[in-house]
Amino acid sequence: MVSVKPDQGAGRVSTLLKLTAITKSFAGVQALKEVSFDLRAGEVHALVGENGAGKSTLIKIIAGAHAADAGSLWIQDRLVERNDPQIARTLGIAVIYQQPALFPDLTVAENIALGLEPGGLWRNIRWRHRRRRAAELLARIGAHIDPDAEAGSLSMPEQQLVEIARALGADARILIMDEPTAALAAREVDHLFRVIGELRAQGVGIIYISHRLEELYQIADRVTVLRDGKTVVSCPLADVDRAALIRWMVGREIATVFPKQTVAFGPVVLETRNLGCRVNGIRGVSFSVRAGEILGLAGLVGAGRTELAQVLFGLHPADAGEIRMGGKAVVIDRPARAVELGIAYVPEDRRRHGVILNMSVASNATLAILRKIGSLGFLDYGRERAVARAFVDRLSIKIPSLDSPAGALSGGNQQKLALARWLATEPAVLILDEPTQGIDIGAKAEIHGLMSALAAKGLAILMISSELPEILGMSDRILVMRNGTIADILPRATATQEKILSLALGPPTEEAVPA
Amino acid sequence: MLPRAWSSPERKRRLRVTHEGVLLLLLALEIGVFSELGTNFLSTANAFEIVRFSVEIGLLAVAMTPVIVTGGIDLSAGSLLGLSAVLFGKMWRDGGLPTSAAALCTVGIGAMAGGVNALLITRLRIAPLIVTLGSFSLFRGLAEGLTGGVDNFTGFPENFLFLGQGYLLGGIPAQTPLFVAAAAGIWLLLHWTTIGRGLYALGLSPDGARHAGIPVDRRVGLVYVLSGAFAAVAAVIYVARLGQAKADAGTGYELMAITAVVLGGTSIFGGRGHVLGTLLGLFAIAVLQNGLRLADLPAELAGILVGLLLLGALSANQLLSVMGVNKS
Amino acid sequence: MSGRYQREWSVAVAYGVLLGTLAIAAPAFYTGDKVRTILVGSAPVLVAAVGMTAVIVTRQIDISIGSQFSICGVAAGLLAQAGVPMPVVMLGSLLLGAGLGAVNGVLVAGLGLPSIVVTLATMVTLREGLRWYQQGEFVRNLPPSFQWFGLGQSAGQWLIIAAALGIWLVGTWGLRYVAGGRAFYAVGSDLEAARLVGIRPRRIVFAVFLLMGVLTGLAALLHATRFADVDPNAGLGLELQVIAAVVVGGTAISGGRGTLAGTLIGVALLATIGPALVFLGTEAHWEKAIQGTIILVAVAADTFPGKRRRHAPTSLVKP
Repeated sequence: MVSVKPDQGAGRVSTLLKLTAITKSFAGVQALKEVSFDLRAGEVHALVGENGAGKSTLIKIIAGAHAADAGSLWIQDRLVERNDPQIARTLGIAVIYQQPALFPDLTVAENIALGLEPGGLWRNIRWRHRRRRAAELLARIGAHIDPDAEAGSLSMPEQQLVEIARALGADARILIMDEPTAALAAREVDHLFRVIGELRAQGVGIIYISHRLEELYQIADRVTVLRDGKTVVSCPLADVDRAALIRWMVGREIATVFPKQTVAFGPVVLETRNLGCRVNGIRGVSFSVRAGEILGLAGLVGAGRTELAQVLFGLHPADAGEIRMGGKAVVIDRPARAVELGIAYVPEDRRRHGVILNMSVASNATLAILRKIGSLGFLDYGRERAVARAFVDRLSIKIPSLDSPAGALSGGNQQKLALARWLATEPAVLILDEPTQGIDIGAKAEIHGLMSALAAKGLAILMISSELPEILGMSDRILVMRNGTIADILPRATATQEKILSLALGPPTEEAVPA
Repeated sequence: MLPRAWSSPERKRRLRVTHEGVLLLLLALEIGVFSELGTNFLSTANAFEIVRFSVEIGLLAVAMTPVIVTGGIDLSAGSLLGLSAVLFGKMWRDGGLPTSAAALCTVGIGAMAGGVNALLITRLRIAPLIVTLGSFSLFRGLAEGLTGGVDNFTGFPENFLFLGQGYLLGGIPAQTPLFVAAAAGIWLLLHWTTIGRGLYALGLSPDGARHAGIPVDRRVGLVYVLSGAFAAVAAVIYVARLGQAKADAGTGYELMAITAVVLGGTSIFGGRGHVLGTLLGLFAIAVLQNGLRLADLPAELAGILVGLLLLGALSANQLLSVMGVNKS
Repeated sequence: MSGRYQREWSVAVAYGVLLGTLAIAAPAFYTGDKVRTILVGSAPVLVAAVGMTAVIVTRQIDISIGSQFSICGVAAGLLAQAGVPMPVVMLGSLLLGAGLGAVNGVLVAGLGLPSIVVTLATMVTLREGLRWYQQGEFVRNLPPSFQWFGLGQSAGQWLIIAAALGIWLVGTWGLRYVAGGRAFYAVGSDLEAARLVGIRPRRIVFAVFLLMGVLTGLAALLHATRFADVDPNAGLGLELQVIAAVVVGGTAISGGRGTLAGTLIGVALLATIGPALVFLGTEAHWEKAIQGTIILVAVAADTFPGKRRRHAPTSLVKP
């Protein structure tokens, strides 16, 4: 792993940003209560806390998207009276949100240029200048991206680099990164950390929000923990260990995050032989999974894990090889067929595919079993609510009511709702795609516990995850994918992070070089 | 960022009562005003006349409701009415078919035309607005082409014309039972079937629905095929009512239908809407047109008022929702 | 970058094929003033299409321009009839168009209402309002300075064509080289991202409807001045004609992409089809059917390259 921390030696330490006693409420709910925070030049200051602890709100106040109800913001020892995105930019603040804020239809050069160019709506646009500037900025962070490429055609890591380039172009002194590695695989994370290292060497201060506590120890100098809208602790990272951090975050002891039970495996439930799908880039995938087994799918982003799941679920039907369920060959040409066969897929994008935000909890929970809650095609509202209530109780989903829209739930509860929807189909195989991504420690533990319990009941689980600790902690076997096919399958006992990574990366000559 | 904090689409009783309640009040207001201003307004005979004249647009409107609920739109419905009318006339006059057979064939063709829209939308993934813009031209164009722009089919048999001009027991216009059945069918489909639930899910999030195992393309296909079939049925009734079939039949009907649907509270973005609302919106417009006529006021006033009404309804809804979010 | 402008190239090729076919099979098409007539007739459509391109690029739509067009034409006629000097008549038409566009703009940008329904409502209201006022009557007894701007047919025609092309050139330059033009693309591509870079989406959306109104007013002038009287139904069906041309030319209804080069070809193609068919021996009453087919074929031939990550359509009015 790349370590990018410079000497913690003495030297001028100027404070770039200071927040004192920030308070903010939304419609009666207090998001922040007298929070203080400061950022020094050249430091990476981690901001951690469970979902709902107030991190996003704090960031938005700094970025000018929200105005605090009370408290003050100081930039370079100057009080900021009024803030908005424009003002924040002139103050040298740049934010890189989890969802890339690029214009998908515009070129990289234009994306970088927009917002950097002074002047009003009547100013003249010089395209050659734009292209040149974009190329310069991208080169500075070592990104090989064509300035004339459409931003929408770039991969997530590439889009992130464009955003960093843009922040650089704005002479940002304060860079806020919200879950920057959530969609990156190990090698891309390394590259990002190198870039961060360069930025801090230039005196840029970085506020780094992440749930990946292990990464923080690689990259951050100080850490501030928020809980329920209040600052709980703010100190150098060296002074706290991981367990202490978690304790600060949740305010209670958390049982082991990976409650793995030993389970006796049943017969092979799902098997694939030479499975391929040209559209999705999968080829020659052969594996099997038994009842009660948790098969972890590891690999770089784009290695084909989600793509494999989509093939198994019928979103992109296979065009080569075969799938066998319970020994019999089956053809899965659409999701409904997969469901009939007993395959369930909880997708990665919780908010767009996992649940439907504007539909009620009850409707979401029963969306995959419409036929079962209907008689002769007609909906049985009573049965729907009964089924929904049963699952809400079983999975301890915290909801205002069965009629509340799914969008009103927290991330962890939305994930549980998505899970409930698929458990209702009584599947034989459950495919989970990044089940705990962006979820706080408490909810993470709950979901892992659920997974273990389901496995114990005989469910076969395929778990796609980019968090190696999770892969190692939960899987019975680990299937490592690379370039659309299987690199190897490792047993739990002998698997290590290094082995998985080296399989995921492949031999040096085989690497594709995106950036 | 949720635009509204509603419960499940069909069951948000509070707001639905509010929106449909307002429409009911509006209707009551219209009836009150016109019973004063108009001659012979407040009579069952007139009420039936209103129904008679609303059936064709009404059929388009109830079929348009599921289309808009799925987040789509069908601009070609009126043109398809025209094409269906022309084809019906041709099959009867030049093809020698009895009117009943011709009518059935017409409905079949209407469904197929809707299927063409569906194919382009689902297979080629082209926006419904654009596809139905093209078919809007195409269908009307075919109607004009087939009639040379001038041909007019007339002379239909009495028993056929009864469907559009006759009266059943109690003075009910002959086309009413058909309309009631059609509206009831769509109501059942949208609000009581699993297919309907799928349509709402699809309207809120096509990707989300797909990932839930809902056969999105089949559902989308269904609503456009239905829209086509209903346009054809409306065409047959139109021809029966007017006694003639020309290429310009149904011009502008799709926009009136869309107006009724949106006035009725269905969101143009999809995922929310109710057939009852559409019917109330339809009758709010129809009563207005009828009342103005009987009050000897200019017919254009109806259009102006409907336009303003639509804006008013949308604005009110928007302000309510913006306030609603702040409250929660 | 031909991948990016695939549609524009295809349509250009299709148009070229049409022109070529005419040259071979019916060269009589190019004689006399037929071509000029087509150009003059499509000048108003082109002007309106410039505005509509910006509207659709901004991820909005305006189906009320037909009614605006009719009203501006009638207003111009009435002003001229009343003896107002021609320059003032022209200004009046533009201002009226601006005003009508501003109404749409306020409703869409100010209240955050969806543009398709707003412009549906304004279309109906304006159309019926005009019908009530004019009762279908043509505006007659116009002073000689009205028709052809008082310049006589030949000069007048060239003026109209030049004006349309001039607007098109200005539009092309503006959409590419002026920040405000780029703002249309930004807002249409991702409204939230636009907000984050300091663009104010509501202003941009208001501006685009205002612009559409002004251009519609101009288009109405370029149409009305061809005749000795003003037809109050001149704008009937204009919006769909214009939208079809813009969409055929490659502008995406989802916003953020589109060129005026494509729009120009789209306008030309759809305008040429009718007369071309007549010359190639087809009966005129199939024109609409063929136009509809062209629209469908043009949009069907598109392949959307890959998935786009973008925020869900957000309201202009933040709750």
